[in-house]
Amino acid sequence: MLEFLFKGLIRDKSRSVLPVIVVALGVSLSVFFVGYMKGMIGDVVDQNARFNTGHVKVMSRAYVQNISQKPLDLSLLDAEVLIKDLKHQYPEMNWVKRINFGGILDVPDENGQTKTQGIAGGIALDLSENSIDKERMKLGNNLIRGTLPKGAYQIILGEGLAKRMNVNIGDKITFFGSTMDGAMSFQNFTLAGTVSFGTSVLDDRTFIIDINDAEQVLDMVDAAQEILGFLPNDVYDESKIETIKNDFNTKMSVETDEFTPEILALKDQAGLRYMLDIANISTSLFSTLFIIAMSIVLWNTGLLGGLRRYTEFGIRIAMGESKKAIYKSLILESIIIGLIGAVIGTLLGLGLTYYLQEVGIDISDMMSQNSMIISNVIRAKVVPQQLWIGFIPGVVATLLGALLSGRGIFKRQTSQLFNELGV
Amino acid sequence: MSTNNLIELHQVTKRFPVGDGEFTALSDINLSFSKGEFAGLIGPSGSGKTTLLNLIGALDDSTEGEIKINGKNIANNSDEASALLRNEHIGFIFQSYNLLPVYTIYENVEFPLILQKIPKEDRKIMVLQALEWVGLKDIANKKPSQISGGQAQRVAIARSIVKKPEIILADEPTANLDSENAYKIMDILKNLNEELGITFLFSSHDSKVIKYLKRVISLEDGKIINDEVK
Ligand SMILES: Nc1ncnc2c1ncn2[C@@H]1O[C@H](COP(=O)(O)OP(=O)(O)OP(=O)(O)O)[C@@H](O)[C@H]1O
Ligand SMILES: [Mg+2]
Repeated sequence: MLEFLFKGLIRDKSRSVLPVIVVALGVSLSVFFVGYMKGMIGDVVDQNARFNTGHVKVMSRAYVQNISQKPLDLSLLDAEVLIKDLKHQYPEMNWVKRINFGGILDVPDENGQTKTQGIAGGIALDLSENSIDKERMKLGNNLIRGTLPKGAYQIILGEGLAKRMNVNIGDKITFFGSTMDGAMSFQNFTLAGTVSFGTSVLDDRTFIIDINDAEQVLDMVDAAQEILGFLPNDVYDESKIETIKNDFNTKMSVETDEFTPEILALKDQAGLRYMLDIANISTSLFSTLFIIAMSIVLWNTGLLGGLRRYTEFGIRIAMGESKKAIYKSLILESIIIGLIGAVIGTLLGLGLTYYLQEVGIDISDMMSQNSMIISNVIRAKVVPQQLWIGFIPGVVATLLGALLSGRGIFKRQTSQLFNELGV
Repeated sequence: MSTNNLIELHQVTKRFPVGDGEFTALSDINLSFSKGEFAGLIGPSGSGKTTLLNLIGALDDSTEGEIKINGKNIANNSDEASALLRNEHIGFIFQSYNLLPVYTIYENVEFPLILQKIPKEDRKIMVLQALEWVGLKDIANKKPSQISGGQAQRVAIARSIVKKPEIILADEPTANLDSENAYKIMDILKNLNEELGITFLFSSHDSKVIKYLKRVISLEDGKIINDEVK
């Protein structure tokens, strides 16, 4: 009987090819969508963690209140002790100091007169030889011109910024800004290299200097504006992060001083909680809608197919098959179709995701006006969830379609069915 | 009524719901057929011929009365029991040949045997024999769309006899055929009746069919008005 059904399925294209295409299309869409969303979420998390938020960030309470202004004067004091303490309490984490500050970059000509000038944002991090943070920022990989700083008072510019300021490797650049206490400060730097991260806010408006130089220039030795914490291998894990955050903040809750350190998790910063929640909700919403839509389409293809096959059912009833047996065979057919469609769809979706994971789509033209830290290349991510997220709904929807359409046919009296057959 | 009759109908009435009321398609039918009969129902369109064949073939339930096949009342049979009865004892031939278009001639004839779970090798012998009876062994691998109407009806005959049923119900089997093919079909059926002892019950308007019948039952408005053995 199974062989008989198989022959029918294979030979009657409208019974097999059309539903398989519907299922495969729906499943591949759903699988790809998940991969796309995961890629995007992963990218946002990764970029923000690296450049801005860390997995957790330690700041003073007062600083947290004004976090968007990144006020240097509200930096943590006694930073070395604090870092030692953090390393002791959470030894698996990697803790690094970062300073975000702003100022004017001035490029002098041979007479010492201003040639070009611009406002830019600075990031200071550990640029020493064995710095993990340097690796994390992938400075070496993203170097466009020159080298990374090897001595004191060397500077790296975003390639876009360097072009705009019309500077070359080895040129002098003067930084004008203010110290932690609000005093005027300036310092000459030498351009060591330029970098491009594929993120316009970083490439066009940012410069990078070593944390020790910054502490000198900004007069904040043994202070820390932000201390970023990263989980081992920089792998993001929301629940671990929440645990550390809650643990630390609870311990600190007895303190009343506004310079008491406080931890914010990645999600607590830069509107990421909202964005990640929306992304997760829309992923599940889409998957649910997809099951419903696909069921309706398959129900209808099932109904149409069923109508077309009335004669066949009538003949099979006359030959001595019961309605129940025919109903069962319809369901069996739908499972076969569902499985084939779901396998094809999952492979297609995974293939597409993999392509986007490895190659990506460049959207830098669209992003040039954007100030968010979002990668200029859309990348999807292959995740295990994709193995079932389309597969199971695909099979279920096909089955549901067959159950619904088959019911319509077989709730009827045999005689009535038989009359309609025109047998 | 004698108990060794193959088919017995006792005060059978069939009403169909129509709108708010009912339509009586058959009323108070008493009939019996013994093994090996070659009988036919004749009568004007709408007289109830098909309805009666469907009741005997367990494709429909009577409203009142008893229908016995081999002495067993089929009135209250479940869907599965009716299916089994058809599968084991009854073959059907229809006006429109009703072959399954996606299957070959061979596979069409094989289908009733698959339902009976007969092993493949045995099926092959039986299918080829049935096709030989109707003279179509050489087109076994063709599809229904590739053969003529006369051939298609012969395939349908092969399909109905392949499981060697006791009863074959043939509802206007020649209505779509020219007279040459109609005679050919009737010759085949007559032979099967004589050689295999299969009981045939026809419904027909066709004088060519009626000529062959050994017993003619006339229906009018759902009642038997004449029943004569020739
Ligand atoms: N399912 C049904 N519902 C309502 N009325 C029906 C149904 N089936 C048959 N009838 C009616 O019962 C009567 C007998 O129909 P039947 O098909 O048995 O006639 P018939 O003798 O086979 O006619 P024909 O020679 O045209 O095939 C007709 O009036 C028909 O309209
Ligand atoms: Mg009729």
